[in-house]
Amino acid sequence: MQDSCRVLFLPDNRYVMVPKGENLLKAAMDADVHVNASCGGSGSCGKCRVLVEEGEVEREPNPKLSEEEISQGYALACQTSVLSDLRVSIPIESRIGDRRIFERKEPEPAHGHLLSAADWEKRLPHWELNPSTRKIHLVLAEPTLDDNVSDAERVKRGLAVETGLRDVIIDYPVLQRLPNMLRQSDWDITVTVLDSGEELRAVRIEQGDTSGRQSAIAIDVGTTTISAELIDLQTGEVTARASDYNAQVAFGEDVITRIIYATRGTGLAKLQSVVVGTIWNLIKSLVEQAGIEYCDITHLVVSGNTTMTHLLLGLNPRYIREEPYIPSATFFPWIKCSDLGLRIAAGVYLYAVPCVASYVGGDIVAGMLASGIFNADKLTLYIDIGTNGEMVLGNREWMLSCSCSAGPAFEGGGVKHGMRATRGAIEQVRINKVNYEPMIITVGHRRPIGICGSGLIDALSEMFLTGIVNEKGKINTELPTDRVRATEGGAEYVLVRAEDSATRRDIVITEVDIDNLMRAKAAVYAGIEILLSSVDMDVSMIDELLIAGAFGRYLEVDKAVTIGLLPDIGYEKMKFVGNGSLLGAHLAALSKDMLNKAKDIAHQMTYLELSMNPAFMEHYLSALFFPHTNLEAFPSVRERLESYRNEQRLAGEAAVGGEVG
Amino acid sequence: MAFNLPTETAKGKIREVELGAGEKARKVGGESCLPFYLWEGEMPNKPLVAAEVIDLVGELPSALEEALGEVKGDPIAWAKKAVEEWGADAIFLLLASTDPKATNASAEEAAETVLKVEEAVNVPVIVYGTEDLDKDAEIARVVATKAEGKNLLLGPAKEDNFKKVGAPAIGYKQTVSGMTPIDVNLAKQLNILLTNLGMEAEKLVIDPTTGALGYGLEYSYSVMERLKIAGLFQDDSMTQMPMLANIGFQAWKTKEAKSSEGEYPEWGNAAKRGIMWETITAVALLMAGADILVLRHPESIRLVKKLIADLSG
Repeated sequence: MQDSCRVLFLPDNRYVMVPKGENLLKAAMDADVHVNASCGGSGSCGKCRVLVEEGEVEREPNPKLSEEEISQGYALACQTSVLSDLRVSIPIESRIGDRRIFERKEPEPAHGHLLSAADWEKRLPHWELNPSTRKIHLVLAEPTLDDNVSDAERVKRGLAVETGLRDVIIDYPVLQRLPNMLRQSDWDITVTVLDSGEELRAVRIEQGDTSGRQSAIAIDVGTTTISAELIDLQTGEVTARASDYNAQVAFGEDVITRIIYATRGTGLAKLQSVVVGTIWNLIKSLVEQAGIEYCDITHLVVSGNTTMTHLLLGLNPRYIREEPYIPSATFFPWIKCSDLGLRIAAGVYLYAVPCVASYVGGDIVAGMLASGIFNADKLTLYIDIGTNGEMVLGNREWMLSCSCSAGPAFEGGGVKHGMRATRGAIEQVRINKVNYEPMIITVGHRRPIGICGSGLIDALSEMFLTGIVNEKGKINTELPTDRVRATEGGAEYVLVRAEDSATRRDIVITEVDIDNLMRAKAAVYAGIEILLSSVDMDVSMIDELLIAGAFGRYLEVDKAVTIGLLPDIGYEKMKFVGNGSLLGAHLAALSKDMLNKAKDIAHQMTYLELSMNPAFMEHYLSALFFPHTNLEAFPSVRERLESYRNEQRLAGEAAVGGEVG
Repeated sequence: MAFNLPTETAKGKIREVELGAGEKARKVGGESCLPFYLWEGEMPNKPLVAAEVIDLVGELPSALEEALGEVKGDPIAWAKKAVEEWGADAIFLLLASTDPKATNASAEEAAETVLKVEEAVNVPVIVYGTEDLDKDAEIARVVATKAEGKNLLLGPAKEDNFKKVGAPAIGYKQTVSGMTPIDVNLAKQLNILLTNLGMEAEKLVIDPTTGALGYGLEYSYSVMERLKIAGLFQDDSMTQMPMLANIGFQAWKTKEAKSSEGEYPEWGNAAKRGIMWETITAVALLMAGADILVLRHPESIRLVKKLIADLSG
C-alpha cells in the first residue's frame, strides 16, 4: 500500500513527498518548483502544462489539452492528481524566460514546511477522564414510618452511600420536581452532580438509569469563527464537530467595533442573543450528527477572548476598551445555560475558561492548557496571530503574556484586494526569480478573486526574495517586467492579470498594502522581543515556537520568517497547534483536573501591557524593515537572499551569453 | 594596593574610511573605543574638522562675515583660506546655488565649482546638496562622473534617493554620506539599503542629522552615542561607519548665535556668543562620537582642534 508518493520534478531535479491523491500543482508548490500558473488552479489558463514521464496520475478532462497530448503524457498540473511515484518534467513553455542552466545534482527533498500537530498525550501530565459533571444512578429505598427523612435528604443520603459525595446541594428546580419524579420512577433515578470546585450541586434528575448517556460540548468562541465539538463522556471520544461564522460579524469584524456596538442602547443584549443563536445552531448540528438526545448533554466548556467571553455571558465589555483596560471579570462561575438563553435541557451548566487580562483571554489560557506549556521544561513561545497578536512565553515555572494590535492585514483587511480565506482567495504564491512571473493557488482551486492573509505573506516574502520589493517595502519599478508598474497611489505588482481573475480586474499588491502588512508584522515581532527582553532573554533561547489560531494553519513558516513576522530560530523548533482554544476547552470539558489547571494557568500568567512599555516603539521601528533592521538575527533569510541574488546574476549572465551566442 | 582603572574592551571597531585620493587622502574612523576612552582602545585617526564652504551665500551673522572678509563670494578662495590659514582638515562644500527653490544652478555648473575647489586644496572634499531629493541625485550623478577617482564624500543620500546617489558613487569611486532623521534604526536601515545596492561598507559615512545646542542637541547626542555603542559593543556591522556632524549650519541658524548685541544687549558679545554656540555643540557631539565635525567659524575650528589635540594626549 502506498499512502505517500515521491514526485520528482525535472529539470530542477527536486522531489517532494506528498499524500496520494495530492494535486500536482500543489506538489510543485511544496517542492518550490516553478510552474506558470495564473488562474489559481482552476484549469482555465492552461499554462501549467507538464510532462508526466513516469508514474500514474489522474487527469480531469480539460479542453486545454488534446487527446494526442494526453497520449504523449502531458497534463495540466492543477487538474491532475498524483496516484503513484512520479517523474515529471516541466517543459520550457511552462517556465518561460527561465534560462538557468542547472547544475546536475542529486535530487534533494524540498523542506517540509507543514508541521503536523504533535502528540498532545506526550505534552500533558497524566490526567483521567473525570469530568465536572457526573451522572449517578440511584435506587433508593422507599420511605417508611421508620425511615421518614425528606425526599431531598433521601437523595443526598443515596449519593453519599453510593458514591461518597457529601453535602450535595440540590438545585431549586430539581427540588421542585423531586417528589413526583421519585415516585413516578419507582425510586429508580439518575442524578447529575456538578462539581464546581467549590460545591457539589445536583443539577438534574431523570427517571431510570441514564448514566450511560452523557456528553459534553467544547466550544471555541472566536471573533470570526465559532467551533464546537461534542464529546462522549463515557469514552472521551469526539462524536461530532461543527463550526460556523460568529453571527456577530455582521455587527463589526473586530472586538473594538463590537465593544462599541455593545455599549450603545440594547447592543449588548443583541450581540449576546446573536452569538447564542450561532452556538444553538451548532449544538443542533452536533446533536443531529451524533444522534443523541439533548438531555444527554450535561455541561459546556467555552473559551474565547476576553471580549467574546463578556459578550456571550452578557457582561458589559465597555471598560475593556478604555484605559486602563479593565474587564468585568477574568474568572467566571459555572453559569446555567438557560440564563444565557441557551435552552438545551434542564440543568445544563456552562463554564467559561478564565481570562488573564483585557487582551489575553480564555482562548489563550485554553491554548496554554492544550499545548502543555504549563507542563514543559522547554522555553516555549506560543503565538496566536489574528487581528490581535497574542503571545505567551514560558514553561512550567512561569508564563508571561502580551497582546499587540496587528490590525486586520493578516485577515485580508486594509489590503486593496484582500479577502478572507474563502473560495477564490489566493493562499499560496511563488514568484519566478528571473522573469518575475507568479505561480498561484487559490482556496478551492477557483479563479482568483482576491488574496488572503497567508497568501499575502507568501506573496510578500517572494516579492522580497526576488527583489521586487526592497527592505523598506518599496517596489522596484525598474525591473524588466510589466507586472510592476508605478501608479499615482504608489507602485504595485500585478499578481493576477484581469483575464485570469474571477473579477475581470487585475489583482495587485500595492506599496500601501505592503506598508500595512509591514506594520502588522512589526507589531507582532516587537511583542515577541519585548516579552523576551523583559526576562533578559533573546530569540536564540526559545526551544519551541507554537503557532496557534486559524491563520496559523495556512501559514508557511519559512515565508513568515522571511518577512520577519516570526523569529528565525529553525523550522524544526516551530509547530502548529491548530485551534488551541478548542483543544483546551475540550480538555477542560473532559477533566476536572484540566479545568483546574486552566484556572491555575490564568492565575499564574503575568500580563505585560505593551502600551505602557517605553521600549515598544524602539522594537517596533527596528522591525519596520524586511526582514528586520538586525539582519544578523535572521541568518537563514540572509542565506536565501544571497542565493537568490546569485541565481539571478547567473541567469542574467546566461541570458546575455545566450543572446551573444 | 594599586588602583586599577576598570576597563571595558569593545568587541567591534568603527570602519576606517578614506576620504580624498592620493596625497590628499585622510582616514577617519577606525576607533576601537568610545570617544577619547584611550585607556580602553585606540583612536588611530583623530576626528576630522572640516570647514564649511558655501558656493553661494547671502548675508551671514556678522562674526562670520568678519572672519570671511572678501573670500565669502569665492568658494575657491574660501576653501584655500580655510585650509591654509584656519587649519581645516577637510572642506565641506555646500552647493547652495543648486537649490531648486532659489537660484537652481545646474548640476554641471556646481560640478565645475567642486572640481575647482578640489583642485585648490590639499585636503579631502565633502560635497553636499541642499537636501532636495531629485536635485541632489542629479548633482551626485554629474559630480561623481566628472570627479571620477577623486573619492569625494557625496551627500546627503536619503532613504528616497539613495539609489540615485549611491549608484554613481559606486561607478566612479566616491564615498557617500547617508542622512537619516535622528534615529538609530533608520540610520542602520539606510546603510543596509546602500550596501545591498552594492556600496562597500568602507565607503559609507553616517550623517545622523545634527541638532544644535538648545535645538535638539540631546537627541543627536543620544542617537550618535547609541550608534557608536552598537558598533563597538554589539559589533553591529551596519552601525560601524564613521559619523559626520554638520554643526556650523545648525549652530549659526540659532537665534542665540546670530542675533546682534543691539537686539539682545543682555546676551553679551555677539561674536563670542556665536563661536561658543558652535564650539559647545561641537564639543558635545565630539563626546557623542562624531568622526567628522563640520564647522563655520575659524575660531571654532581652532578651539575644537585644540581640544582634540589635548584629549588625544
